[in-house]
Amino acid sequence: MELYMTAEDEAFRDEVRAFLRENLNEDVIRRSNTGMHPPNEDDRRWWNRMLAEKGWAASHWPAEYGGTGWSHVQHHIFELECRLAGAPELRWQGLRLIGPVLYTFGSEAQKSRYLPPILKGEEMWAQGFSEPGAGSDLASLKTSAVIDGDDYIINGQKLWTTEGQYCEQGFFLVRTENSDRPQKGISMIIIDMKSPGVTVRQIPMINGEGSTCEVFLDNVRVPRENLIGEPGSAWVYAKFLLSNERTSSADIHKARADLERIRNIAAHELKDGKPLLGDAGFRRKLAALRIEVDALEWSVLRVMHEAPSRHPISACASVLKIRGSSLQQKLTELMVEALGQRSLRVYRRDEAYAQPDGNPLWPAYTPGVTADLMYLRSCTIYGGAMEVQKNIIAKLAFGF
Amino acid sequence: MNFSLTDEQRMLVESAERYGRDKYTFEERRHIGSNPEGFSRQHWNQFAEMGWLALAIPESCGGLGGTATDIAMLMEPLGSALIIEPVVDTAILAASLIGASPDPAQREQWLGRIATGELIVALAHQEQASRNEYDFQVRTSATRTADGWSLSGQKHRVFHGAAASVLLVSAHLEGTADLGLFIVDSHSAGLSSEHYELIDGSRGADIRLNGVQVPATALLMNGGLTEQALEQALDQAILAGCSAAIGSMEAVMAMTADYLKTRVQYGKPLAQFQALQHRMAEMFVETDQSRAILHSALAAVESTDAGGRQAAISAAKYQISKAAYFVASQGIQLHGGIGTTEEYAVGHHYKMAVMFDQRFGDASFHLDRSSLGIDQLDQPLKGALYA
Ligand SMILES: Cc1cc2nc3c(=O)[nH]c(=O)nc-3n(C[C@H](O)[C@H](O)[C@H](O)COP(=O)(O)OP(=O)(O)OC[C@H]3O[C@@H](n4cnc5c(N)ncnc54)[C@H](O)[C@@H]3O)c2cc1C
Repeated sequence: MELYMTAEDEAFRDEVRAFLRENLNEDVIRRSNTGMHPPNEDDRRWWNRMLAEKGWAASHWPAEYGGTGWSHVQHHIFELECRLAGAPELRWQGLRLIGPVLYTFGSEAQKSRYLPPILKGEEMWAQGFSEPGAGSDLASLKTSAVIDGDDYIINGQKLWTTEGQYCEQGFFLVRTENSDRPQKGISMIIIDMKSPGVTVRQIPMINGEGSTCEVFLDNVRVPRENLIGEPGSAWVYAKFLLSNERTSSADIHKARADLERIRNIAAHELKDGKPLLGDAGFRRKLAALRIEVDALEWSVLRVMHEAPSRHPISACASVLKIRGSSLQQKLTELMVEALGQRSLRVYRRDEAYAQPDGNPLWPAYTPGVTADLMYLRSCTIYGGAMEVQKNIIAKLAFGF
Repeated sequence: MNFSLTDEQRMLVESAERYGRDKYTFEERRHIGSNPEGFSRQHWNQFAEMGWLALAIPESCGGLGGTATDIAMLMEPLGSALIIEPVVDTAILAASLIGASPDPAQREQWLGRIATGELIVALAHQEQASRNEYDFQVRTSATRTADGWSLSGQKHRVFHGAAASVLLVSAHLEGTADLGLFIVDSHSAGLSSEHYELIDGSRGADIRLNGVQVPATALLMNGGLTEQALEQALDQAILAGCSAAIGSMEAVMAMTADYLKTRVQYGKPLAQFQALQHRMAEMFVETDQSRAILHSALAAVESTDAGGRQAAISAAKYQISKAAYFVASQGIQLHGGIGTTEEYAVGHHYKMAVMFDQRFGDASFHLDRSSLGIDQLDQPLKGALYA
C-alpha cells in the first residue's frame, strides 16, 4: 500500500487551483456557495463550457469521447478543489449518468448525436425513472412504450424528475413488454423534452423552490432509434449507471466545504460576547463531524481504487451513500446551529444571490444555509433511500 | 397525584382540537403564511372569542387566570395545527412581562386589550450580538426627557414584528446599570422597521429607534425586576412552546402512520416493513419522553426555588428540541419524496421544529443551563416529584 499523494498529484493540484483562480469570479462563487436549489442555471452552463474548452468537463469519460485519463486521486483532487473554490456544480445527469451509458451501450448514431452537447453543456438531461407508484420499488413502473411503425408511443407519468424544467433531453425508463419478472420488460429511451405531449410541471419543495418536476407523457411519439441498447435490458443499464456513480453519492467534496463554512460562521457568531468557535461544546461537535468526514473521504478513496476487501464492494458503496447522506444532514444541522436565530430567515433567490449589503445584522454567510438544510432532507431519500441501502448491505454483506 | 384533566381542561382541549380540524386546516395555514403580515387577523379574533388569548392573564386584569398546565393543554392542539399566530409571543410572553409590572394601572390597561385580541404585542429585546432571548446585554439606551424617556438603538429579530402594534423594548437607563422595559407604540415617530419572512411563514423585524419619545409611564419596570421578569416570561413561553412541539410530534406520527398504511411498495403497504415499524416506535418513545419531561417541568414551575425551576424547564426544552427534530425528520424520511414537498404538511412540522429549537435558547444553551442543576442532585426540586 502507498497511502500518500505523489509529487505529480501535488503539481496537479496546483494546476487545478491556478485554473480555478483565473476563471472563477466573485459573483459566480457567491451564487454557488449560497446553497440554493436548484443552483443557478446560467452559471452551471457557463462553467460547463469553460471546463469543456479546457478539456476537463467530462474528466471521467474515456479519452476518445473527450475525457482526461486522470487517476482516481486526480479526479478526487479536481472535484475537491472545484468545490472549495466555489465553482458551480455541473449537472450530473448528462455527464455522470447517461453519458457513460451512451458510450458503453449506445449506438454510433446516439454517441455522435448526444455526447458532444453533453460535454459542452449545451444539452441538459433529465432522469425519468421514478413514478407516483414506483419509488423505491422502481421495477413496478407503469409508463408504457408501444411500437407504432418507426416510433414508440409513450404514455405515463414521471415524478421527482430533478430540474426537469431546464432540460433539453431526458432518459426514461419505460415498459416495452409485460413479462413475469417486472424488471425484464423495462427499456431505456431518450425523449426530447420539447416533444409534443411532454408536459413538465415544477413541484414546490420545502426549500422553497421547484427543484423537482412531474413529467406527464401523453401519447409522446419517439423514434425507435432513441431506444438505448436492447429492448427490455434497461435494468442492466440502470445498474451500470449507478455502479459508475457509486462514489459520488458520498458528496465528500461538499462535506469538506461545509466543515469550512461552519468554521467560518462559528468564528464570527458570538456566544456571550465571544466567538462560538471557542466554545468547548461547539468545538467538540465540529471535531466529531470532521472525524466522520475524514473517515468518509478514505472510504471514498478505497471504493474508487476498488481496495481489496473481504466484503463485496457494492456493500461498501452503500456505506458511502448511508454515511455520506446522513453526514450531509448533520453538517447542515450544525451549520444552522452555528448561525443561530439568523437561520430562521427565508431568503428568496434574488435576495440570496444579491451582493451583500454590509448590514452587520445579516452577515454575508447567512443566506442559503437554511434552504440547504431543508433541501438536504431529501438526500437520504433520493438515489436509493437510506432504508433501502441498509437492506442492500444486509443482503450483500451478510446474505440475509 | 392526578394526571386526569378537569372538565374545564377537557373542554379547552376539545375546542382547540376541533378548531384545528375544522377551521385551521393545513390549506388555510398555507394561505396564511403567504400573507405579508404573516398572520391572520380573522383567526386572531376567533382565538380571542374562544378565550385563548385571555388564558394566561390574571382575572384581575380581564383574563381567565389559567395555570401553566392549562396553557400547556391549549398549546398542544394549536401546535398540531401549526398555528402561525403569536399566541406564545403575545398572549404568554408579552402578557407575562406586562403582568410583572409593579404598576396595576399599566397591567390593567394593556392586559385587557391583549385578552380581547385588540393588541398584538412583540418583545423587542435582542440585538446584533445576542444569540437568544436570554441574553441581557442590551445596548439600546433610554435617556430621560422632561416628561418621560427618549429611546435609541437597534433591535434585531423581533418575532412577529410586522404584525405587532405594540412593542416591549428593553433598554439601558442612562447613567445606571439598570435594564428597563418600555412599552412602545410601533407607529411612534423615530421608529422604523424592516420586515422579513421566517421559515414558519411568520414575519420578523429589525427595528431602529431613533430618539423615540415615550411618557414616563411607558417604563413598565426597571432594576433587577426586568431581568427576573424576562427570565420568568421566557420560561413560560418555553413551556407553551414545548407543548406545541409535542402537538406537532403527535400530528407527524399520526400522518406518517396513516401514510405507511396506504403507501404500497414491493407489493405491500410500507407499514409491513419492520424497519419502518421500529422507526415509528422510536418516534413514539421520543414523543412519550417529551410529554413526561414536560410534566416534570410543569410540576416544577410553581416552585419558589428559581435554580431548580430553571433546570427543569431547560431539561424540557433540551429533550423536546431534540425529539421534535428527530420526529419531524423521520416523518419526512418515512414519507419519501412526498415528504419533501411544500404542499405536504410534514415538511412544515420540520420547519416548526427548527424554529422551536432556535427560539428562547437552543438545545445546547438549555443543556448548559440545566447542567447548573447538577450540583444540586442531592437536593430534589421543590414542587417536583420528590419534594
Ligand atoms: C429531491 C429529489 C430528487 C429526485 N430526483 C429524481 C430524479 O431526477 N429522477 C428520478 O427518477 N427520481 C428522482 N427522485 C426520486 C427518488 O429516487 C425517490 O424518491 C426514491 O426512490 C424513494 O421513492 P419514494 O419517494 O416513492 O418513497 P417510497 O419508496 O414510497 O419510500 C417511503 C419510505 O419507505 C422506505 N422503504 C421503502 N421500501 C422499503 C423497504 N423495502 N424496507 C424498508 N423501508 C422501505 C423508504 O426508505 C422511505 O423511507 C428524487 C427524489 C427527491 C426527493
